[in-house]
Amino acid sequence: MARKTKQEHLQELSDAVLDMDEERTVKAAHEALVEHVDPYDAIQGGLSDGMARAGQLFEDEEYFIPELLMCSDAMYAGLDVLKPHLKQVGESRGTVVIGVIEGDTHDIGKNMVRIMFETGGFKVIDLGRDVPPQRFVDTAREEQADIIALSTLMTTTMDGMGTVVRLLDEADIRDGIKVMVGGGPISPGFAKRIGADGYAVNAAEAVKVARELVA
Amino acid sequence: MTIQKNASTAAMSPLERFAAYNKGEAIDRLPCVPIIGNTAARVIGVKVSQLRGNGRLIADAQIAAYRRFNYDVIRVFTDLYTLAEAMGAGVHYPEDETAYLENPAISSIDDIERLRPADPLKDGNLPHHLEAMQRVVKALGKEVPVTGALTCPFTTASFLIGAENLVRLSIKNPETVHLLCRVALESAIRYAGAIIDAGCTPSLTDPMSSSTVISPRLFKEFSLPYLKTLIEFIHQHGKSVTLHICGKTEKVWEAMADAGADCISIDNDASLSGARESVGHRLRIMGNVKPSEVMLQGTPADVRRAVFDSVAQAWDSPKGYIIASGCSLPTETPFANIQAMMDAATEIGWPVAPENLI
Repeated sequence: MARKTKQEHLQELSDAVLDMDEERTVKAAHEALVEHVDPYDAIQGGLSDGMARAGQLFEDEEYFIPELLMCSDAMYAGLDVLKPHLKQVGESRGTVVIGVIEGDTHDIGKNMVRIMFETGGFKVIDLGRDVPPQRFVDTAREEQADIIALSTLMTTTMDGMGTVVRLLDEADIRDGIKVMVGGGPISPGFAKRIGADGYAVNAAEAVKVARELVA
Repeated sequence: MTIQKNASTAAMSPLERFAAYNKGEAIDRLPCVPIIGNTAARVIGVKVSQLRGNGRLIADAQIAAYRRFNYDVIRVFTDLYTLAEAMGAGVHYPEDETAYLENPAISSIDDIERLRPADPLKDGNLPHHLEAMQRVVKALGKEVPVTGALTCPFTTASFLIGAENLVRLSIKNPETVHLLCRVALESAIRYAGAIIDAGCTPSLTDPMSSSTVISPRLFKEFSLPYLKTLIEFIHQHGKSVTLHICGKTEKVWEAMADAGADCISIDNDASLSGARESVGHRLRIMGNVKPSEVMLQGTPADVRRAVFDSVAQAWDSPKGYIIASGCSLPTETPFANIQAMMDAATEIGWPVAPENLI
């Protein structure tokens, strides 16, 4: 069998992710390594590219949450193969601290956003769900984060987002940290009112907003 | 047909209003339903957690809320999890906020066989909700439709095994999802029967079936067949069915109609005018004033404006239109905003003069 070109390897990785095929992604990752494709390129030009295309289909309402989750499963499986072979770590676009605000345990939306951030080149620290506002602030300070991304599906917990902004102010570290908010009951107006820097309606948009915020 | 305003329509009860509206006769105003759940606790000044396991208090709260605002449908509802809880899911009850799912009933598909359909007269908090429904019907059943919230199979399935698990399985292992939906359907049918026995109408809610979560294709595979069976069962008992799905729904409106819904309740991510155009000839439409942005956070003037906008979009929908919030109201929705919704409905009156809505 003829060797694949580098471009063909990247295409196969990207397609396997887009097709939600975990086994095929793992196989493609091994093949790329065997044929000396740079693991960094395989991740960026292959796996991440597949997720970016999946994100586009999600925005176009051809993919939905199940499809996006399956794509990300394939992507992470491929990442597990490639990561140990990375010689160089790519330049991160920035560090994001993400979580679902205290009182809320709905985390599918947050997980989607985390995935899109990770594939979009951000270092992501995921605090999980039901996270007290102070923990976002403490973690952001310790990790020198660029962005805090807050999610909630419930109106009862929305106010916790405003609390995070206020705590950042009080800690005098507001200037260096951008705050993004999203989730079912959140509107751009609400984001503005609590002093957040960004709002995104879904996971695909969230990563675009984040890029603008750190540009 | 010209419809004349006359004195006899001055103070219609909700049942009279619906009866006349359904026949195309004169009414005093469009039906109006701010969908009140735990806000009812605020009306009688109790903590949300006090409603747990207390059918009498749930009833007192719902009766008081209705008497205060005089809306057109009472819906006995505290949270989405009652049915899943009765099947073994863990629900957390914060002291004064709406309950949320703490842990699904099972964590692995190996345990599916352990799941049993709920017994509405015994399991979880279902008996208390049924008691609440009976009490509300006894107090108000002659003047206002009383409904009991019923979570639909696909959504209950997500609470049985966890939402993320379920959506993965919907692609990886469809047969497993069907097993979960079947047992959730059996519970839903039993509970629907008990709700009807209590003198109420089941009010269907299926947020996980939203196109914000799953594709229309998966809706047709995992939501539609079970909704159809459930709605058929309710129809056989002579009740009409309102089906609420949160978030985006445009691409499944036709399927919601195919499922047999008589009325769909749509959220603010869906367009009322779009719904009127595409399925208004098949079913009644209710919605979709923004529960969070307008009802919770807006002013009474914002609410009035939003009601006028909604009515302008859908008042002439062929099978009728009900002014409503897009989803259950947040617990802390100001009373002034609920009142503003009712006042706007009265101000618009009947017949609707579209030139006054702009």
